Amino acid sequence: MNNYYVEPRKSSPEVNFDASTGVLRLTGESYPENTFDFYAPLLAWLQEFLDTTSLPVRLVLQLSYINTGTVKCLLDLFDLLEEAAGNGRNVGIAWYYDPANERALETGEEFAEDLKVPFELIGEKF
Amino acid sequence: MYFNLLQLKKTLEEANILICFNGPFSQSIIEELGNAVRRYLSNDQMESAVLMDVFSVYIEQTQNIRNYARRREALGDKNPAYEMATVLIGRDGDRHIVASGNTVHADDAAALAATIDELNGLDRQELRARFKEQSRKPASNEVGRGAGLGLIDIARKTSGPIQHMMHPLSEQHVFFQIIAAI
Repeated sequence: MNNYYVEPRKSSPEVNFDASTGVLRLTGESYPENTFDFYAPLLAWLQEFLDTTSLPVRLVLQLSYINTGTVKCLLDLFDLLEEAAGNGRNVGIAWYYDPANERALETGEEFAEDLKVPFELIGEKF
Repeated sequence: MYFNLLQLKKTLEEANILICFNGPFSQSIIEELGNAVRRYLSNDQMESAVLMDVFSVYIEQTQNIRNYARRREALGDKNPAYEMATVLIGRDGDRHIVASGNTVHADDAAALAATIDELNGLDRQELRARFKEQSRKPASNEVGRGAGLGLIDIARKTSGPIQHMMHPLSEQHVFFQIIAAI
Protein backbone atom coordinates (compact mmCIF):
# COMPACT_ATOMS: atom_id res chain seq x y z
CA MET A 1 0.00 0.00 0.00
CA ASN A 2 1.06 3.62 -0.53
CA ASN A 3 1.80 6.00 2.29
CA TYR A 4 -0.85 8.51 3.33
CA TYR A 5 0.26 12.07 3.88
CA VAL A 6 -1.57 15.35 4.52
CA GLU A 7 0.29 18.61 5.05
CA PRO A 8 -0.37 20.48 8.27
CA ARG A 9 -2.56 23.56 8.20
CA LYS A 10 -3.50 26.04 10.88
CA SER A 11 -6.56 24.08 11.98
CA SER A 12 -5.66 20.58 10.85
CA PRO A 13 -2.75 18.33 11.78
CA GLU A 14 -0.02 16.80 9.67
CA VAL A 15 -1.05 13.23 8.92
CA ASN A 16 1.74 10.81 8.15
CA PHE A 17 0.98 7.13 7.70
CA ASP A 18 4.02 5.06 6.78
CA ALA A 19 2.69 1.91 5.15
CA SER A 20 6.05 0.15 5.46
CA THR A 21 6.16 0.47 9.27
CA GLY A 22 2.46 0.80 10.18
CA VAL A 23 3.11 4.02 12.09
CA LEU A 24 0.33 6.60 11.77
CA ARG A 25 1.32 9.95 13.18
CA LEU A 26 -0.93 13.01 13.67
CA THR A 27 0.89 16.18 14.71
CA GLY A 28 -0.44 19.67 15.35
CA GLU A 29 -3.88 21.03 16.16
CA SER A 30 -7.20 19.71 14.95
CA TYR A 31 -10.28 21.88 14.52
CA PRO A 32 -10.94 21.82 10.76
CA GLU A 33 -14.17 23.29 9.45
CA ASN A 34 -15.68 19.96 8.44
CA THR A 35 -13.98 17.64 10.86
CA PHE A 36 -15.71 14.50 9.55
CA ASP A 37 -14.71 15.30 5.95
CA PHE A 38 -11.11 15.73 7.07
CA TYR A 39 -10.97 12.37 8.87
CA ALA A 40 -13.12 10.25 6.52
CA PRO A 41 -10.30 9.51 4.01
CA LEU A 42 -7.93 8.62 6.85
CA LEU A 43 -10.48 6.22 8.36
CA ALA A 44 -10.97 4.62 4.94
CA TRP A 45 -7.21 4.37 4.46
CA LEU A 46 -6.69 2.75 7.88
CA GLN A 47 -9.52 0.30 7.20
CA GLU A 48 -7.90 -0.71 3.93
CA PHE A 49 -4.50 -1.06 5.59
CA LEU A 50 -6.00 -3.33 8.26
CA ASP A 51 -7.85 -5.39 5.64
CA THR A 52 -4.91 -5.90 3.29
CA THR A 53 -1.83 -6.18 5.54
CA SER A 54 -0.93 -7.87 8.79
CA LEU A 55 1.69 -5.39 10.05
CA PRO A 56 1.48 -4.00 13.57
CA VAL A 57 -0.12 -0.53 13.74
CA ARG A 58 1.05 2.22 16.02
CA LEU A 59 -1.06 5.39 16.22
CA VAL A 60 1.04 8.30 17.49
CA LEU A 61 -1.03 11.36 18.48
CA GLN A 62 0.78 14.63 19.07
CA LEU A 63 -2.18 16.99 19.21
CA SER A 64 -1.97 20.10 21.34
CA TYR A 65 -5.59 21.10 20.74
CA ILE A 66 -8.58 19.16 19.40
CA ASN A 67 -12.17 20.27 18.96
CA THR A 68 -15.08 18.05 19.92
CA GLY A 69 -15.60 16.88 16.33
CA THR A 70 -12.04 15.57 16.38
CA VAL A 71 -12.74 13.71 19.65
CA LYS A 72 -15.49 11.85 17.80
CA CYS A 73 -13.25 11.09 14.81
CA LEU A 74 -10.42 9.81 17.00
CA LEU A 75 -12.89 7.49 18.76
CA ASP A 76 -13.79 6.13 15.32
CA LEU A 77 -10.09 5.52 14.62
CA PHE A 78 -9.73 3.78 18.00
CA ASP A 79 -12.75 1.57 17.18
CA LEU A 80 -11.01 0.30 14.04
CA LEU A 81 -7.88 -0.45 16.05
CA GLU A 82 -9.82 -2.19 18.83
CA GLU A 83 -11.54 -4.38 16.30
CA ALA A 84 -8.20 -5.23 14.68
CA ALA A 85 -6.69 -6.02 18.09
CA GLY A 86 -9.66 -8.33 18.75
CA ASN A 87 -8.69 -10.16 15.55
CA GLY A 88 -5.17 -10.67 16.85
CA ARG A 89 -3.44 -7.62 15.34
CA ASN A 90 -0.61 -5.99 17.27
CA VAL A 91 -1.77 -2.39 17.80
CA GLY A 92 -0.84 0.44 20.14
CA ILE A 93 -1.71 4.09 20.68
CA ALA A 94 0.59 6.77 22.08
CA TRP A 95 -0.88 10.09 23.29
CA TYR A 96 1.74 12.81 23.64
CA TYR A 97 0.99 15.87 25.73
CA ASP A 98 2.96 18.92 26.77
CA PRO A 99 3.37 18.59 30.56
CA ALA A 100 2.43 22.30 30.82
CA ASN A 101 -0.93 21.58 29.13
CA GLU A 102 -3.05 19.75 31.70
CA ARG A 103 -6.12 19.74 29.45
CA ALA A 104 -4.24 17.65 26.88
CA LEU A 105 -3.38 15.15 29.63
CA GLU A 106 -7.02 14.99 30.79
CA THR A 107 -8.21 14.39 27.23
CA GLY A 108 -5.74 11.51 26.92
CA GLU A 109 -6.84 10.06 30.26
CA GLU A 110 -10.49 10.13 29.20
CA PHE A 111 -9.63 8.30 26.00
CA ALA A 112 -7.59 5.71 27.91
CA GLU A 113 -10.48 4.87 30.28
CA ASP A 114 -12.56 3.08 27.68
CA LEU A 115 -9.87 1.39 25.62
CA LYS A 116 -8.63 -2.15 25.72
CA VAL A 117 -5.70 -1.61 23.32
CA PRO A 118 -2.46 -0.38 24.93
CA PHE A 119 -2.67 3.40 25.29
CA GLU A 120 0.47 5.18 26.45
CA LEU A 121 0.35 8.70 27.91
CA ILE A 122 3.66 10.40 27.22
CA GLY A 123 4.37 13.74 28.87
CA GLU A 124 6.85 15.26 26.46
CA LYS A 125 6.95 18.44 24.40
CA PHE A 126 6.68 17.89 20.67
CA MET B 1 -23.37 59.04 7.36
CA TYR B 2 -21.24 59.54 10.41
CA PHE B 3 -19.49 56.90 12.52
CA ASN B 4 -17.91 57.70 15.83
CA LEU B 5 -15.40 54.88 16.11
CA LEU B 6 -13.81 56.41 19.16
CA GLN B 7 -17.16 56.21 20.89
CA LEU B 8 -17.49 52.57 19.82
CA LYS B 9 -13.99 51.84 21.09
CA LYS B 10 -14.78 53.47 24.44
CA THR B 11 -18.06 51.59 24.75
CA LEU B 12 -16.28 48.28 24.12
CA GLU B 13 -13.48 49.10 26.53
CA GLU B 14 -15.85 50.22 29.27
CA ALA B 15 -17.64 46.88 28.93
CA ASN B 16 -14.25 45.11 29.23
CA ILE B 17 -14.61 43.69 25.74
CA LEU B 18 -11.16 42.96 24.38
CA ILE B 19 -11.94 41.35 21.07
CA CYS B 20 -15.11 41.79 19.10
CA PHE B 21 -16.29 40.63 15.71
CA ASN B 22 -19.52 41.31 13.89
CA GLY B 23 -20.07 40.27 10.32
CA PRO B 24 -20.04 37.39 7.85
CA PHE B 25 -18.20 34.52 9.44
CA SER B 26 -15.94 31.84 7.96
CA GLN B 27 -13.48 29.19 9.11
CA SER B 28 -10.54 31.46 8.20
CA ILE B 29 -11.97 34.24 10.37
CA ILE B 30 -12.46 31.70 13.19
CA GLU B 31 -8.76 30.80 12.86
CA GLU B 32 -7.48 34.39 12.75
CA LEU B 33 -9.67 35.58 15.59
CA GLY B 34 -8.63 32.46 17.50
CA ASN B 35 -5.00 33.53 17.07
CA ALA B 36 -5.83 36.93 18.47
CA VAL B 37 -7.61 35.34 21.43
CA ARG B 38 -4.59 33.18 22.21
CA ARG B 39 -2.14 36.04 21.80
CA TYR B 40 -4.14 38.18 24.17
CA LEU B 41 -4.51 35.37 26.70
CA SER B 42 -0.86 34.35 26.65
CA ASN B 43 0.11 37.96 27.47
CA ASP B 44 -2.21 37.75 30.41
CA GLN B 45 0.03 35.45 32.50
CA MET B 46 -2.82 33.01 32.91
CA GLU B 47 -2.73 29.32 33.62
CA SER B 48 -2.47 27.28 30.44
CA ALA B 49 -5.57 25.27 31.40
CA VAL B 50 -7.66 28.46 31.53
CA LEU B 51 -6.19 29.64 28.24
CA MET B 52 -7.08 26.34 26.60
CA ASP B 53 -10.59 26.44 28.07
CA VAL B 54 -11.26 29.97 26.78
CA PHE B 55 -9.91 29.01 23.36
CA SER B 56 -11.95 25.84 23.15
CA VAL B 57 -15.18 27.52 24.29
CA TYR B 58 -14.54 30.10 21.56
CA ILE B 59 -13.93 27.39 18.93
CA GLU B 60 -17.00 25.35 19.92
CA GLN B 61 -19.29 28.40 19.93
CA THR B 62 -18.11 29.67 16.57
CA GLN B 63 -18.04 26.27 14.86
CA ASN B 64 -21.57 25.64 16.15
CA ILE B 65 -22.65 28.81 14.35
CA ARG B 66 -20.95 27.72 11.12
CA ASN B 67 -22.44 24.23 11.38
CA TYR B 68 -25.88 25.72 11.96
CA ALA B 69 -25.63 27.79 8.76
CA ARG B 70 -24.66 24.64 6.82
CA ARG B 71 -27.48 22.67 8.36
CA ARG B 72 -30.11 25.28 7.45
CA GLU B 73 -28.69 25.45 3.93
CA ALA B 74 -28.96 21.65 3.62
CA LEU B 75 -32.62 22.01 4.62
CA GLY B 76 -33.10 24.37 1.68
CA ASP B 77 -33.00 27.48 3.87
CA LYS B 78 -29.99 29.38 2.58
CA ASN B 79 -30.00 32.82 4.15
CA PRO B 80 -27.10 35.27 4.43
CA ALA B 81 -28.30 36.07 7.95
CA TYR B 82 -27.11 32.61 9.11
CA GLU B 83 -23.61 33.40 7.85
CA MET B 84 -23.34 36.34 10.22
CA ALA B 85 -22.06 36.13 13.75
CA THR B 86 -21.40 38.48 16.61
CA VAL B 87 -18.57 37.23 18.82
CA LEU B 88 -16.85 38.84 21.72
CA ILE B 89 -14.15 37.94 24.20
CA GLY B 90 -13.93 39.97 27.35
CA ARG B 91 -13.54 40.02 31.05
CA ASP B 92 -15.90 40.11 33.97
CA GLY B 93 -13.85 40.60 37.11
CA ASP B 94 -11.39 37.71 37.25
CA ARG B 95 -13.34 35.62 34.78
CA HIS B 96 -13.07 35.50 31.01
CA ILE B 97 -16.18 35.86 28.91
CA VAL B 98 -16.82 34.22 25.55
CA ALA B 99 -20.10 35.34 24.03
CA SER B 100 -21.64 34.83 20.63
CA GLY B 101 -24.91 35.52 18.90
CA ASN B 102 -26.41 34.51 15.59
CA THR B 103 -29.69 34.36 13.73
CA VAL B 104 -31.58 31.16 14.46
CA HIS B 105 -34.82 29.94 12.90
CA ALA B 106 -37.71 30.19 15.36
CA ASP B 107 -38.34 26.45 14.92
CA ASP B 108 -34.92 25.66 16.40
CA ALA B 109 -34.60 28.28 19.11
CA ALA B 110 -36.76 26.69 21.83
CA ALA B 111 -34.99 23.34 21.49
CA LEU B 112 -31.60 25.03 21.72
CA ALA B 113 -32.66 26.91 24.86
CA ALA B 114 -34.00 23.68 26.37
CA THR B 115 -30.73 21.86 25.64
CA ILE B 116 -28.71 24.58 27.34
CA ASP B 117 -31.06 24.66 30.35
CA GLU B 118 -30.78 20.91 30.70
CA LEU B 119 -26.96 21.02 30.58
CA ASN B 120 -26.98 23.85 33.11
CA GLY B 121 -28.73 21.48 35.54
CA LEU B 122 -25.95 18.88 35.41
CA ASP B 123 -22.94 18.79 37.72
CA ARG B 124 -19.33 18.17 36.61
CA GLN B 125 -19.54 14.39 36.85
CA GLU B 126 -22.86 14.27 35.02
CA LEU B 127 -21.48 16.50 32.25
CA ARG B 128 -18.45 14.25 31.93
CA ALA B 129 -20.73 11.21 31.66
CA ARG B 130 -22.99 13.00 29.17
CA PHE B 131 -20.00 13.93 27.01
CA LYS B 132 -18.82 10.34 26.98
CA GLU B 133 -22.28 8.96 26.23
CA GLN B 134 -22.81 11.43 23.36
CA SER B 135 -19.34 10.78 21.95
CA ARG B 136 -20.15 7.06 21.64
CA LYS B 137 -23.33 7.66 19.62
CA PRO B 138 -23.01 6.95 15.90
CA ALA B 139 -22.35 10.16 13.96
CA SER B 140 -25.31 11.67 12.15
CA ASN B 141 -25.08 11.81 8.36
CA GLU B 142 -26.99 15.08 8.34
CA VAL B 143 -24.97 17.99 6.95
CA GLY B 144 -23.83 20.36 9.69
CA ARG B 145 -25.10 18.15 12.50
CA GLY B 146 -21.63 17.73 14.01
CA ALA B 147 -20.94 15.39 16.89
CA GLY B 148 -23.45 17.05 19.24
CA LEU B 149 -20.63 17.56 21.73
CA GLY B 150 -19.97 21.29 21.44
CA LEU B 151 -22.50 22.58 23.97
CA ILE B 152 -21.66 19.81 26.45
CA ASP B 153 -17.99 20.75 26.16
CA ILE B 154 -18.81 24.44 26.67
CA ALA B 155 -20.87 23.53 29.76
CA ARG B 156 -17.95 21.51 31.15
CA LYS B 157 -15.61 24.47 30.82
CA THR B 158 -17.97 27.21 31.97
CA SER B 159 -18.11 28.20 35.60
CA GLY B 160 -21.76 28.63 36.48
CA PRO B 161 -24.58 28.28 33.96
CA ILE B 162 -24.29 29.11 30.26
CA GLN B 163 -26.46 32.20 29.90
CA HIS B 164 -28.71 32.40 26.91
CA MET B 165 -31.15 34.94 25.61
CA MET B 166 -33.41 35.24 22.58
CA HIS B 167 -34.28 38.49 20.86
CA PRO B 168 -37.13 38.20 18.33
CA LEU B 169 -36.15 39.47 14.88
CA SER B 170 -39.26 38.47 12.91
CA GLU B 171 -41.89 35.74 13.01
CA GLN B 172 -39.36 33.38 11.47
CA HIS B 173 -36.16 34.29 13.24
CA VAL B 174 -34.61 35.13 16.57
CA PHE B 175 -31.19 36.43 17.49
CA PHE B 176 -29.85 33.83 19.91
CA GLN B 177 -26.98 34.77 22.19
CA ILE B 178 -25.01 32.70 24.63
CA ILE B 179 -22.52 33.86 27.23
CA ALA B 180 -19.99 31.57 28.88
CA ALA B 181 -17.76 32.69 31.76
CA ILE B 182 -14.49 30.81 32.31
